[in-house]
Amino acid sequence: MHCPMFSLATPSSHAESGGRLVAVLLGIVLLVTAALAQAEAPIAVVYPDIGEPYRAIFEKIVEGIEDRAGPRVVKYAVKSSADIAELKTDLRRQDARVVIALGRQGMKAVAPDRSMAMVVGGVSTVPESEVRGLSVISLSPDPSLLFSRLKALMPAAKRVFVVYDPRNNAWLMRLAKEAARAQGLELVAYEAQDLRGAMQQYQTVFATADSRTDALWLPQDTTTVEEGSVLPLVLQESWNRSLAIFSSSFGHVRRGVLFALYPDNVELGKSLAGLALGILASGNHGGGGMMPLRDVRIAVNLRTAQHLGLDLRRQQRGFDLVFPEP
Amino acid sequence: MNRAIVRAVAAALAVAWAGACAGQGDEEEDLALAYGDKSFVTIASGVRQPVARAPSVATVITAEDIEAIGAADQDEVLETVPGLHVARSGVGYNPIYTIRGIHTQYNPQVLMLVNGIPVTSAFTGARSQVWGGVPVENIARIEVIRGPGSALYGADAFSGVINIITKTAADINGTQIGVRAGSFKSRDAWVQHGGTWGGFDVAAYLRVGATDGQRQIIAADALSGTPFPSLAPGPVNLGRDAIDARLDLAHDKWRLRAGYQQRDNGGTGAGVASALDPKGHGYGEHISTDLTWQDANFVRDLDVTAQASYLHITEQSDLTLYPPGFPGFPDGVIGNPYKWERHLRFNLSAAYSGLQSHKLRFGAGTQNDDLYRTKETKNYALVPIPGGFFPAPLGAVVDVSDSAPFLRPHSRTVSHAYVQDEWAFAQDWYLTAGVRRDQYSDFGGTTNPRLALVWETAYNLTSKLLYGRAFRPPSFAELYNINNPVALGNPNLKPETNESVELAFAWQAASTLQANLNLFRYRMKDILRFVQNPDASFTAQNAGRQNGQGLEVELVWEASRSLRLSGNYAQQRSIDEATGLDSSNAPRHHVYARADWRFMPGWTLNTQVNHVADRRREPSDTRPAIPDYHTVDLTLRKQKWKDDWDFAFTVRNLFDADAREPSPAPGLIPGDLPLAPREWRFELRHQL
Repeated sequence: MHCPMFSLATPSSHAESGGRLVAVLLGIVLLVTAALAQAEAPIAVVYPDIGEPYRAIFEKIVEGIEDRAGPRVVKYAVKSSADIAELKTDLRRQDARVVIALGRQGMKAVAPDRSMAMVVGGVSTVPESEVRGLSVISLSPDPSLLFSRLKALMPAAKRVFVVYDPRNNAWLMRLAKEAARAQGLELVAYEAQDLRGAMQQYQTVFATADSRTDALWLPQDTTTVEEGSVLPLVLQESWNRSLAIFSSSFGHVRRGVLFALYPDNVELGKSLAGLALGILASGNHGGGGMMPLRDVRIAVNLRTAQHLGLDLRRQQRGFDLVFPEP
Repeated sequence: MNRAIVRAVAAALAVAWAGACAGQGDEEEDLALAYGDKSFVTIASGVRQPVARAPSVATVITAEDIEAIGAADQDEVLETVPGLHVARSGVGYNPIYTIRGIHTQYNPQVLMLVNGIPVTSAFTGARSQVWGGVPVENIARIEVIRGPGSALYGADAFSGVINIITKTAADINGTQIGVRAGSFKSRDAWVQHGGTWGGFDVAAYLRVGATDGQRQIIAADALSGTPFPSLAPGPVNLGRDAIDARLDLAHDKWRLRAGYQQRDNGGTGAGVASALDPKGHGYGEHISTDLTWQDANFVRDLDVTAQASYLHITEQSDLTLYPPGFPGFPDGVIGNPYKWERHLRFNLSAAYSGLQSHKLRFGAGTQNDDLYRTKETKNYALVPIPGGFFPAPLGAVVDVSDSAPFLRPHSRTVSHAYVQDEWAFAQDWYLTAGVRRDQYSDFGGTTNPRLALVWETAYNLTSKLLYGRAFRPPSFAELYNINNPVALGNPNLKPETNESVELAFAWQAASTLQANLNLFRYRMKDILRFVQNPDASFTAQNAGRQNGQGLEVELVWEASRSLRLSGNYAQQRSIDEATGLDSSNAPRHHVYARADWRFMPGWTLNTQVNHVADRRREPSDTRPAIPDYHTVDLTLRKQKWKDDWDFAFTVRNLFDADAREPSPAPGLIPGDLPLAPREWRFELRHQL
């Protein structure tokens, strides 16, 4: 089905021997055929074959990809023990020139093969050394969306504090600084590379923050937002000082942060498919690098909002989830 | 030997797990950064919606919980709720939902709702005698509220409220077929579909099932040791055939639901007269429908809901009270009471959030409970003898529906109105105050308040102080029974009441550890009982008081990404104020523990342990105390086998414990009511 594009690769000789019209017609045929071939080229989706409940995340992303890219999608659910060589052979046989790799397992299964363009989703971050040539939509929400939500929920907000590990989130902070400026916010970012450093930076935050105009952002960062010891202390101090916290992790909303943005998986799937289709249409290899998540939903903790004295009654309809539900 | 098998299985699973999980950890770690732990993933991925926080001490059980524990019956699910123990009545082994020590034979003190609508029969004030519950695979979640709830729910929200929510189109999401088979020739098959059709969200469910029921032996019954023939020792009679169908249509602000539920050949348990009745059977049919309209933005800040609902109940019992050979009764003492009821309800409710610091709820409604027809055929009449009554033969089975029925048709109308306000009166402090008035056409009115003071003590601690008052209206049996000298009605009754004070704490001790503690005290007054008259007959009276106190502790610990441990302990002590002794039959201690182990991707092993202890006899019961028991259940489940198949294997009562529920005083069934021995079941589901 994809062979015509190659078999018609040398028709330009007809233009020399035949009339101009024939050449033009042939040229049109060539372009249309090539375009059709491009349009029908399969998009391979490689995603982890894991158990519930995590499986449902990838199923929803794949549902979004299929919504956007239609029947050309060829799916491969890979186990951690899958035979990568066999997968590659299969992808070549399908003549897949774009592969959407989901999750670390999906990425690992396809990454070594750079003969295909690769779009990645369902991962938090990819090391900068590996990101070249890839288009990656992170699971980390776009800071500009986080900040605009903060302004909507807490109009008095002027400054945002964040403690991050540059090894995980340097790329995100570059975006965050721009985003804050655009929203009229000041981003005060502290670096920390271990738990002790993180705790010290949070102490600095609490010593300087003014709860009326400041807020604290918890990025997806295993070092500075460590769940066992750092997070409880940050939550407790923030509650005691009535300092608003917002997060890039959905689970933190039930723990007591004001709000979090989290992936809208079906929409994320559509965006990934859009990137893949763009690569096919343009014919280049993509390579957009790390991109933050823009397909998001919002979860809000109303208990915390009330503690902070925020009146969200009129905005409640716009929230995707609230904790605890009234 | 049992233990050896368990060890061997555990060892094999551990080996398999070690190999299979190596690659999954990284993946989950990444996802956990965005979503949080497993329970958040199911919510965030849209598979499960978070549930409404009940305004009391509540437990929510989800469809995932029900699947995980391998439950095939709603009562197996309810036994896991802290402070709730499912005891059994000798009559059909009907469940007695014993909440916080309140245990009665017909159990009308618990309000059972399906999708928020009562399934109460006017005759006993409880579920009808042949109901059988909602099939578990059609349940989206069960919400259980302990303590009085009459200020919102009205009648019978007395010791607790159980609300069963059935699956909507979104919950089912596709077409699923399933079969389940197991011990006692139990077999069930079902199909359910959720999708959209012509602009409607459509959920449809159909189930057909049957069982012979467990056949544990009753060693002696009411006739053992008498000159009359007894069928004991003999098995309990717990077979039944079941058909369930449900349809749920939703469009914009409208929802129409309809249900059909049929139970046929329902076994008589240990016999209605505490004498084994292997031939007796019951037929029950429930036809229900409701139409709901909700506009969350009727006008600004006002959410309005209107609902009309209809429930029709048919109940036909064909009973052999005493077996063939009873003097004068070559075919046995036969009684066949039939009854038909219809219930029509209209409700209007609203929530207003337009006032700063206040959330208002108010509503009103009316209902008609109509037991519109009774029929009775029997071959005996009870005649007085010294100290009691004795069946005298009528010669043949005769229709006494017009001449001397157990009850004539009766109807009552109830109207109600309520208002409730949640007032945020200071930072982190909330006061909820509510009151509801119910006006009955037969006995008059009753007013029931509630107060709840909530303090958001810390970011991870909520403290509540709750007060509530509840009522249970006299049932038609208690008001209007006739021609049955052992249970005569009394039209001059008033409701029994329950007042309760609770202190509750919810503490998120760590990201992986949630702990809840509830302390309660209650006092029942004007308890409705059948009290013996000088002529040995019994008449319903407001007689007696009971008080109790206790606590419940709940823990949920996500020990690792693949292991979740949870459990609860409930302790209560209830006293009958007339005797100063234990009010009897309810366990003073109840422990439940559960482990969910995801030992390989897609595989889960669930273990649960249930310990029921320290149930005291009634003062008039001279039998030795009923032994404690504990049971262990195992469920192994594989999800997404060959993509679209799920299967589960369950063993209940793994160690074949001799578990028994108390028979009532004075112990006409001396050896109590034996529960099922070890049983197994296999379940297969396919997503089309």
